[in-house]
Amino acid sequence: MRVALPSFTALALVYLVLPSLIIVPMSFSNQLYLTFPPPGWSTQWYGAMQTDLSWPQAAANSFLIGVPTALLSVALGTLAALAVVRGRLRFAAAASALLVAPMLLPHVIIAIGLYPVMLDLGLLRGYLGVIIGHTVVAMPLVFITVAAALRTYSESLELAAMTCGAGPWSAFRHITFPMIRMGVVVGGLLAFATSFDELMLSLFLTGPGTRTLPRLIWEQMNAYLTPTIAAVATLILGFSLLLLAVVAVLQRARPVESQAP
Amino acid sequence: MSGASRGAHLAIQGLYKRYGDVQALAPTDLDVAQGEFFALIGPSGSGKSTLLGSIAGFVPPSGGRILVGGVDVVSVPPYRRNIGMVFQNYALFPHMVVFDNIAFPLRMRKVAETEIRTRVERMLAVVRLEGMGARRTSQLSGGQQQRVALARAAVYDPPLLLMDEPLGALDKNLREEMQDEIKQFHRQIGATVLYVTHDQDEAARLSDRIAIVNHGRIVQVGAPRELYEAPCNSFVASFLGEANLFPIQSVAPAVDGTTLEIGGGMRLATTRKPPEAATGAGIMACVRPEAIGLNHRTSAAAGNTVEGIVDDAVYTAGMLRYRVRVSDSIQLTVRQPPGHAAHHAIPGERVVLSWRAEDTLLVPRE
Repeated sequence: MRVALPSFTALALVYLVLPSLIIVPMSFSNQLYLTFPPPGWSTQWYGAMQTDLSWPQAAANSFLIGVPTALLSVALGTLAALAVVRGRLRFAAAASALLVAPMLLPHVIIAIGLYPVMLDLGLLRGYLGVIIGHTVVAMPLVFITVAAALRTYSESLELAAMTCGAGPWSAFRHITFPMIRMGVVVGGLLAFATSFDELMLSLFLTGPGTRTLPRLIWEQMNAYLTPTIAAVATLILGFSLLLLAVVAVLQRARPVESQAP
Repeated sequence: MSGASRGAHLAIQGLYKRYGDVQALAPTDLDVAQGEFFALIGPSGSGKSTLLGSIAGFVPPSGGRILVGGVDVVSVPPYRRNIGMVFQNYALFPHMVVFDNIAFPLRMRKVAETEIRTRVERMLAVVRLEGMGARRTSQLSGGQQQRVALARAAVYDPPLLLMDEPLGALDKNLREEMQDEIKQFHRQIGATVLYVTHDQDEAARLSDRIAIVNHGRIVQVGAPRELYEAPCNSFVASFLGEANLFPIQSVAPAVDGTTLEIGGGMRLATTRKPPEAATGAGIMACVRPEAIGLNHRTSAAAGNTVEGIVDDAVYTAGMLRYRVRVSDSIQLTVRQPPGHAAHHAIPGERVVLSWRAEDTLLVPRE
């Protein structure tokens, strides 16, 4: 058992991670199209990525969509979690299931639903439309992390704050928020990562001026298949891993203690 | 302690709470005097927490009035009621050190930092936690956390202090120690205290008066001794202390009182008069275990004398507690301080039990 379990874990990790890592050597290829394994090495595609202006523009779009999506998800997801966990709702369990549902639904179904709505509202191909779409799939993550944080402590803390004279906003600012801060930050990072990696909704909702990195990669895959794609994908992979590492570190950290006066 | 407000008069008038068809609290009236230490006791789910929650402002009542110092607070949100509250699990803010916990109510009231410092230090002294202000609450023992909770609830001199089973999480020895501290704390701060507990000993030790709550209504209010010696019904008799309760089959007048037939050919003498026209069906006889003597020589004058066989004898906390079988269907509990007992009976032994006729109480059956 002592050997078997770690070995199995290692194998599972290889199985899960290796396909993603294959793009790393591919991005250093000296060929003109995607090959594996590459016969020779070069860093030219990282240069090409910068000279073709569509890549930096797509990267900027991904941030311009990802950051507002994260902020919107944090606001809505936190409020939803407060309502479900603290609100004494009659249908709290059903509300909870519905709030998580977009995460489980195929994105293409949400995209097909949102497309005519956004068209009607005139939000198609603009930033706002895709931000709204991404928030639908990113908000459940904030809801889950914040609801979990709220369940780590008793409601009596907030009741105590109220008897001490804290109104609803003061109680949230001084007690609730410090208690759930990690859940909010982690949920926000996960929401950002969701938007940053999302393809299906971006395909339906973005236009030439607002296309994101995943959408540009997808278009280039169809048209050119140059190792530039692998270079971009490698950078995205590195960035996503960085986000994951931040999340992992935050989740291990204890809530911040206040200083003595 | 600042001598500002020395406790508010609390008046509950026709207060009730319904959840759909369920009546959590029947229309209730209650008066608690200024500076009084008043306990609410009752089994869990009896409605005492609903009553406390309504006063604190967490449970909106369905109707009635809550007057604190003569002002109706029903429509006042909890954070403007200026009532102190101590929670069962302390509810200390884990992300704040002890000082900040106690300072929190003052900061919410925008008190100047220099005054906050003085008042928190003074409060730390009252609860004997001097020099602990910089500690994290997680570094404190259960008793110390409880004292921080007391300090936080009283630092802003609330005229009314609510305590919801504040010692429920502590073990027995610490609980008794903390009872003395709470008593002393109450003397120092002078606020009116409403104290919820399910522990009748705790209520009796701490309180000026006790209200016994059952099935969403207050059954009886009185000083601990009053409730014990004159319970208003069989529930109160058995909830507060131990009681030997007997259903009564028939009632007959006697020379100096009443004779009660309790079945199995057993008769009890009492000096108390049953209510007019009572046949015995609605009342029960109650004899406290301490009132019963075991093998007393003076038993002839006692009024009640029965023979029985000791089923078991247990020694607990300075008391000998016997279960004595007097007939197939009737068993009596007898409690005696071991030093005073003429004789220490052993299981299987035949004994004579005796008590005075005035110690046979009559209580309505509940």
